[in-house]
Amino acid sequence: MMTQTVALFVDAYRELNAKKLFWITMLLSGLVVSIYAMIGINEEGITFLWFTLDFLPGNINSEQIPPEILYKGLFMNLGIGIWLTWIATILALISTAGIIPDMIAGGSIEMLLSKPISRTRLFLTKYLTGLLFAGLQVLAFTTASFLVIGIRGNVWEPGLFLAVPLVVCFFSYLYGVCALLGVLTRSTIASLLITLLFWCGLFVMNMGDAILLSFKVQYEVQRDGYTMGIDRSREGATKIITARREKEGNPVPEGFIATDEEMQSVMPWMASTIEYRDEAEETLGKLEPWAKGVYAVKTLVPKTGETIALLERWLISMADLEAITDGDAEEPTIDEESGRINLDDNELQLRTQEAFRERSVLWVLGTSLMFECLVLGGAVFVFARRDN
Amino acid sequence: MNAEATAALSASSPDWAIDLADVAKTYKGKIEALKGINMRIRQGEVFGLLGPNGAGKSTLVKILMTVIRPTRCKGTMLGQPIGSQSILRRIGYLPEHHRFPSYLTGAQVLDFYAALTEVPRATRKARIPELLELVGMQDWGAVKVSRYSKGMRQRVGIAQALMNDPDIVLLDEPTDGVDPVGRRDIREILAELKRRGKTVFLNSHLLSELEMVCDRVAILVQGQVAKQGTIDELTAGKERYEIELATPTKQPPLAEMLHQLVSTNWEQYGPPKGWHDAGQLRSGEAIRVVNNMVQVHSSDAATIQPIIDQLRAHGAVIKSIRQLRPSLEDLFMAAVGDDGGVGGSKPCNANKKPLAAAPHTAKGDAS
Repeated sequence: MMTQTVALFVDAYRELNAKKLFWITMLLSGLVVSIYAMIGINEEGITFLWFTLDFLPGNINSEQIPPEILYKGLFMNLGIGIWLTWIATILALISTAGIIPDMIAGGSIEMLLSKPISRTRLFLTKYLTGLLFAGLQVLAFTTASFLVIGIRGNVWEPGLFLAVPLVVCFFSYLYGVCALLGVLTRSTIASLLITLLFWCGLFVMNMGDAILLSFKVQYEVQRDGYTMGIDRSREGATKIITARREKEGNPVPEGFIATDEEMQSVMPWMASTIEYRDEAEETLGKLEPWAKGVYAVKTLVPKTGETIALLERWLISMADLEAITDGDAEEPTIDEESGRINLDDNELQLRTQEAFRERSVLWVLGTSLMFECLVLGGAVFVFARRDN
Repeated sequence: MNAEATAALSASSPDWAIDLADVAKTYKGKIEALKGINMRIRQGEVFGLLGPNGAGKSTLVKILMTVIRPTRCKGTMLGQPIGSQSILRRIGYLPEHHRFPSYLTGAQVLDFYAALTEVPRATRKARIPELLELVGMQDWGAVKVSRYSKGMRQRVGIAQALMNDPDIVLLDEPTDGVDPVGRRDIREILAELKRRGKTVFLNSHLLSELEMVCDRVAILVQGQVAKQGTIDELTAGKERYEIELATPTKQPPLAEMLHQLVSTNWEQYGPPKGWHDAGQLRSGEAIRVVNNMVQVHSSDAATIQPIIDQLRAHGAVIKSIRQLRPSLEDLFMAAVGDDGGVGGSKPCNANKKPLAAAPHTAKGDAS
């Protein structure tokens, strides 16, 4: 059994080795790592090679963002977020989409099915060899990034290698769909194009989810801010009314708390604030079913974006994120004229991040892998029952 | 095959390499590729399967190799039920129109497919040069198969089918695209396999090739076995003698004598349809005169003695006397009918050409 598996993997490696696209992708990976190896940060600001880019807005320096956080951020956002999960994934899909259609092509499938290997094992092993492209690319890229972050950022972070299983996992969701389509259509082009369409569908759904979640967080923050503001104002109003009534010789009973009307009598702008809080509450009530609906649909399909985001979740803690944004974070305040709350963007971003991070790893990976298992189960079912 | 033939097979030797009973396959769309095949192949023999395109030959081989699932099948291969995966370790197979990965070299092709058959690494390493030499590809082992000619790919294909030192070798059109020298080499390989006691199952369109190497053949027509047996068994009773004359047959008195001879018993039997200058002897054998050739359909030499006497008595000079038997092609054409058995819905024996009308293969020469 082991001999067969090793043979299939060696064959897959030989196939990759013969593909120009594999080496082009590897070369481009090297280029991406080289680019961010040239970027640095010091007390004066961001550097590129030996130039300090002090003209950049925001004047970010190493005191605000430590080098290791900068490199981790570059690795995750540029290396993983853009390069590996977009460009390299498309190149990997182009390279591997033909594996299953080529395997089941006439003249080729007879050579394989006539060997003492079950169809299920043959299909699944071939599927795994398809992941080899992504696996080798991400391993090479992560190793190079590990060295760059070690040398340039002076932090040796083995956690970076979590990118290998995560990116392979992410690619496997798409490749599972591609393999099923390969079995059904027997066409490389058809399976590749439909997989890319499916991926676009997932992207749109993820965008919708992210927008809904950020709206939800925004209104939650507004509601909480208004509630907090109203509570503080109520305390103030209670004190004012207590003092006034004592002065008038009509002391308030013990445990007196000003009602909304009493509060508005001493702080007229609070009427608007209460109204805004109620509006925020109402909008949240309207958003809730949509957010739940999208969440339910997302539960059934692979969560590509969230799978990759797990890396950031594991490499950069909430404490780190707060540390980066703390300098600018401000407490929400209520404008005394309009009664509106002033929200801090950093605070909103942090709360949105927190909301995403509240989604469990089991939900992100478990349900995605369950989808993949179902897709592969369908592909194996068709492959094992079909006459070739 | 009829019940009688099946019963006859059942009474034969138990040492069957392949024993098929009622193998049927109906594809989607109700296309009946095989309609209940009964076939037995002895261990150590070279067995040829022939039939026109679409007869079901490749379907049968694919069923044996588990590539296609049969609709019905009661057969065994080396004692194991058809469909058993484990028995595939002892089978070598070369499919028709096989396609090897273009990025592999010849040696890598042998190594890859042998590994899938679970041949240990050390054995593979030792057998690759041996087999490349056997098929005459020893100088091409390190070259990618994408650079091979069709004949070279066939040779490597045969080598890969032998990597696991199989007990049965199934070769589907092994000489396809191979030049005459290559075909001779392949015949020698097959003879060598037979000497080593291997069973060879051969699918080929080249009837002359099969005739040269096969111990037994089966003719498949429209999903059924039309004929099965050794070539001697299949041609038994179908031999004929040809008496070639140096004297023109239209010259009297020879012409009258021959007319008398072929006209014998016409009143009783009538002339066979489509024959010109043809008839039957009193003893029932067919006789025909074609130019200066007298053909007598009999396997018994005694039958032609009185004819020779009469010919000589009427001044004929006999140039040669040859005994002939039908070739495999004659048997094949007779079995598949006029349309070549392709796509027709006729029963397999309809529209047969008379065997005697087709050219025969010389068995002996009396001249």
